[in-house]
Amino acid sequence: MANYIEEISKLQISHRISLLKERMLSEPRFLSLEQALLITQCYKENENLPRILRRAKSLSLALNKIEIRIDPLELIVGNRTPGVRAGVVSPEAGISWIDREIETLHERPQDQFNVRKEDIEEFRKTILPYWKGKSLEDAVKDRLGAEISAIGKVVKINQTDHAQGHICPNTQKWLAIGPAGLKKEAEEKLKMASDDKKVFYESVIIVLSAAQDFMRRYSKLAKKMLVEVSDGRLRENLIEIERICAKLADNPPETFREAVQSLWFLFVILQMESNASSFSPGRADQYLYPYFKRDIESGKLDLSGALEIIEALWLKFNQIVYLRNSNSAKYFAGFPIGFNIACGGQTQDGRDASNELSFLFLKAQEHLLLPQPNLSARLFKGSSSEFVDQCSRVIGMGSGMPQIFNDESIIPALINQGISKEDATNYAIVGCVELTTHGNNLGWSDAAMFNLVKVLELTLNNGICLQTGVQMGLQTGYLTDYKSYEDLEEAYKKQLDHFIDRMIAVCDAVDRMHAEFLPTPFLSSVIDDCLEKGIDVTAGGAHYNLSGIQAIQVANIADSLAVIKKLVYDEGTLKAEELLKALQTNYEGSEELRQYLINKVPKYGNDVAWVDNIGAKWIEYFAEKLKDYRNARGGPYHTGLYTVSAHIPMGHNVGASPDGRLSRDPLADGGMSAMYGRDRNGPTALLKSVSRINSMYGSNGTLLNMKFLPDFFKTEEGIKKFSSLLMTFVDLRINHVQFNVVRREDLLKAKQKPEQYRGLTVRVAGYTAYFTELASDLQDEIIERTSYGDI
Amino acid sequence: MYGNIIDIKKFAIHDGPGIRSTVFLKGCPLSCIWCHNPEGIDSKINLWYFEKKCIGCHRCVAACKNSALSIGSASPHIVIDREKCINEGNCVEACPTAALCFDGKRVSQREVIDVLLEDKPFYDKSGGGITISGGDPLFQHEFALGILMECKKHSIHTAIETCMYAKKEIFEKFFDYVDLFIVDLKVFNSANHKKYTGVENELIKSNFEFLASKKENILVRIPLVPGITATKENIGEIASFVYEVNNKIPIELMNYNPLGENKYRLMGKANELLKGIKPLPEPELDALYQIISDKGVKIAREKKVKQ
Repeated sequence: MANYIEEISKLQISHRISLLKERMLSEPRFLSLEQALLITQCYKENENLPRILRRAKSLSLALNKIEIRIDPLELIVGNRTPGVRAGVVSPEAGISWIDREIETLHERPQDQFNVRKEDIEEFRKTILPYWKGKSLEDAVKDRLGAEISAIGKVVKINQTDHAQGHICPNTQKWLAIGPAGLKKEAEEKLKMASDDKKVFYESVIIVLSAAQDFMRRYSKLAKKMLVEVSDGRLRENLIEIERICAKLADNPPETFREAVQSLWFLFVILQMESNASSFSPGRADQYLYPYFKRDIESGKLDLSGALEIIEALWLKFNQIVYLRNSNSAKYFAGFPIGFNIACGGQTQDGRDASNELSFLFLKAQEHLLLPQPNLSARLFKGSSSEFVDQCSRVIGMGSGMPQIFNDESIIPALINQGISKEDATNYAIVGCVELTTHGNNLGWSDAAMFNLVKVLELTLNNGICLQTGVQMGLQTGYLTDYKSYEDLEEAYKKQLDHFIDRMIAVCDAVDRMHAEFLPTPFLSSVIDDCLEKGIDVTAGGAHYNLSGIQAIQVANIADSLAVIKKLVYDEGTLKAEELLKALQTNYEGSEELRQYLINKVPKYGNDVAWVDNIGAKWIEYFAEKLKDYRNARGGPYHTGLYTVSAHIPMGHNVGASPDGRLSRDPLADGGMSAMYGRDRNGPTALLKSVSRINSMYGSNGTLLNMKFLPDFFKTEEGIKKFSSLLMTFVDLRINHVQFNVVRREDLLKAKQKPEQYRGLTVRVAGYTAYFTELASDLQDEIIERTSYGDI
Repeated sequence: MYGNIIDIKKFAIHDGPGIRSTVFLKGCPLSCIWCHNPEGIDSKINLWYFEKKCIGCHRCVAACKNSALSIGSASPHIVIDREKCINEGNCVEACPTAALCFDGKRVSQREVIDVLLEDKPFYDKSGGGITISGGDPLFQHEFALGILMECKKHSIHTAIETCMYAKKEIFEKFFDYVDLFIVDLKVFNSANHKKYTGVENELIKSNFEFLASKKENILVRIPLVPGITATKENIGEIASFVYEVNNKIPIELMNYNPLGENKYRLMGKANELLKGIKPLPEPELDALYQIISDKGVKIAREKKVKQ
């Protein structure tokens, strides 16, 4: 083992990859209407056909017609637009928002796209009039709009204007038999199918044939380009592209490069069918390994050649981005598309699964430091120290990757949701941190986000919103009406039950509308049991059918209830009237009280058991309550504990809270994190606190952010200590953690906004200081030193 | 039993092997002019004022029974009359932002041990443990010893960071309960030692010889203060001394830490000496380590990651 690790550690980035990266990043981003126009044309011509056939035919048309491009330098080809990182529009999912925002896409604060003037005209002339009232978005608005808006400050309902993503296809099967093999399977099934299933199989066959056509088009284009290209190496590459793409149309891949190309075609076509975020390759280091190993053993490939192919794929992952409306872009900033790859972890018999590819994936991340793929590493008690150390090294480079997932807690949590041990052991990640099985699951992991803090606000104020004065919840009374802490808890339960009930009804309805409006025959061909049952994945064809609801946010709940419990009920030092009035007036004139609540009552994240346990209790209550429901596809609802960047807009909806947070201020970040600046006892105390939240209740995924300074990773001792921190995290059974390695810019921000960086420590030999508590000239000195990386 | 501590720092990563928790005890027999934990010198607990955290509510002014606090001319901040202040703590209690706080606290051995036990999973995984530092652990020696004995009962690796300025009989009591001795040798010349630390160093040297004759796990640290300890001559003399005592004992150089100055401000003091002193640049550090190597003494220095 040690041999290849040493060899991989020395590999350099190739000139080809550097050049391709540079070209990709310098190309401007545009809105692209090409596929939207083809879909519109196809729907117009086939109005009498069932929706699934219309969807299949439009995808087929796009695969045969959209303009394609090959850079003669690239080893892996394929995209859904000729330009890179284009914003693609899906009219059947939703375009009302594009109508509203098309003029401002180029200047909005987050995730901008250039828009050609002629495209704005074309959009308004051809696309918009046809789709009015026909898209998922319009139908959701029509049927559910009033309820969605009525509960909007408590529940953010997702999946209302785009197709389903967040799914991990059975790439292994795709590689094993290719589109031709899958098509054959569907044809066999069609022969025996009952009438109601025929249209599903016909649709599958249409899209798989088109997938083959798409590959052949790349082969032909490569051949055509040979006429103009004279450089020997480029010609060689084009000839290889021509050969591989033609082969993959009819046969499964055999070599490593063929397998990677085949994988990429799968993901491009999935993105074309469903313009959604996150189709996850999952455990690519496992299922690509046989192809890699065969080539290495036959001498066809060496490690540096394999790395170049992997990095070529990594670049491809960055060429497809996801266009969101401006509101959604606030919740999920930086157009995360979520090609999530999970490396490492364990085999079915509990051995360390990391291999050469796992290390090459980490190396590729180290070389490119790009946002995609979203690289995840699975750790468990038996992970090799070499693999853990390598993760530590790459984390220390500061791209926030790999993020770390914990087999020890995740596998039991998934089994607890009715997933088989084998599938749980083979888990992967979709999107940011959402957990899934491999190739057989529609996890619907972002059904909704539930704002526990808003419901607490309503519980303290007789169901009335502090921000608007609107009666939103039940009239359970005011804080001043609750005689005991237990009375308050009972009222909180009632309010939670009420909103959970209303949320589930909407989620179910949205779920059914996906089956109605956006069936996905191509995706269904690579999700286990759909072909078997003859049922589309959106209609419940998958082997597993889960729905995930995010409970937001444990830190604010723990901190707020700790204040009330300790000061109002246990000690009686704070009058309920005084606190309620302070909340109702957004602490106006009560700054001293607010400071007292922030500084003198213990907070979640500091290894104070009684405070952490308050958070744990309400997550348990929420997660147990969800067990009362089944989703539209017959599967369970379960809980996630993550917000990505939604803690900001969700905080915007919440009035002043008893933890000293002002109205509209952000909630705690991440999901499991402490309120910013309130974890004052360092990383070990934070991890201990987080471990008190039962990981079983985070089976949909959890998120913990931690910050470190780059100096930690500068010595071998530091790397080792960091690795042992990771392995303690594994023992503590926390599902997930990711690390921000704080750089100079962060320190500059910390100086300007100390309240958000209270917990940031500066460590120098033998002595630790809180950065924000240092005098500004000393801060400057540290900032200065940090820019040289000496700290 | 009760003692005065500055604080307990978790996730201490420079006070011995692995991930550790370090207890900083109050009280030190030396008063080094460069001390970067100056609150550790006095064994009593004193008032600190974080001006930046003060919101100017002036609750503290009313709370103080000794009229030690007043509203400064540069309001909203307050002025502390350190002569009148008897560290009673009414102002600390009243302050909503913790701008006023104590530089330490009085705690029982049990309380300290309970906090130390909280991070046991991290010690076990990383080969870490606990360290007692200060101030100096030999100053409140009975308190320190009790903590160390209890930690050994829990099979926790223990270290102390000491200047070894204590009666030999007291120092010896620690030998059975400490796994790693991190000992400071600051200035070799005794007259200079007295000039900069307040005491002569004969006792320190003889205690070091005694320790080396009885125990094995010893690390010598030299705090580098430019112009005072960080001279070729001083480093050379200390290295020769260590070599004669036992050439297997390694030496680590602790580069000057400029952050100590901030603490003087919190205490309402100034330390003119420290103004403008910078840590040694890498090449000078290399040169001093070279002197140690040349004397035949092992060096303890963290290995840089290759980029």
